[in-house]
Amino acid sequence: MITPDVLTEFIRKSMPDAAVTVTDRTGTMGHLKETGGSEDFHGKNLLDRHRRIYQSLDVPMKDGRIHALELTARTRDEA
Amino acid sequence: MAEPIEDEIHKEVKAHKILIYGKGTKTMPMCGFTRETMQFFDKYGYPYELIDVLSQPVKREALTKMTNWPTLPKVFIDGTFYGDTDILDPMEKKGEMEPLLKKAFGK
Repeated sequence: MITPDVLTEFIRKSMPDAAVTVTDRTGTMGHLKETGGSEDFHGKNLLDRHRRIYQSLDVPMKDGRIHALELTARTRDEA
Repeated sequence: MAEPIEDEIHKEVKAHKILIYGKGTKTMPMCGFTRETMQFFDKYGYPYELIDVLSQPVKREALTKMTNWPTLPKVFIDGTFYGDTDILDPMEKKGEMEPLLKKAFGK
């Protein structure tokens, strides 16, 4: 189980300008929907944007705190 | 000499125009996202294959390395990796899915 603010912290560590919105989809804090907006995404296709987010969440994913994650990754002007 | 498991994956990816590596089977998907991905393709009516990698940890790990994508399901269309519905849904909204599938099935 992971709380939205802990998850946001992980993302901010590697994408400091990320605007993160986290919604817990099943009430178990395991299925999370995360919307990230970062200038880091400019020029990156969707697959690479999501890879970037997954990299920043490598630790909580590996230790099982995150079971499933749904991602939306946009730049600020796309947000 | 490439790992046999990677050869097996390459063969599977080539053999199926739409291939989903996920959790469970078509009749008994064991994960909401796997089911969501099947429902995504059901809308289009094209045949797809679901290969369960819950029961094949070595293949699951090889896939993660090959695609640099840590989660399941993993979707391949016409031999190309497309992630999961987080990628397919925005593509659909931009009208890119229909032509892609048509081309894959040679319509």
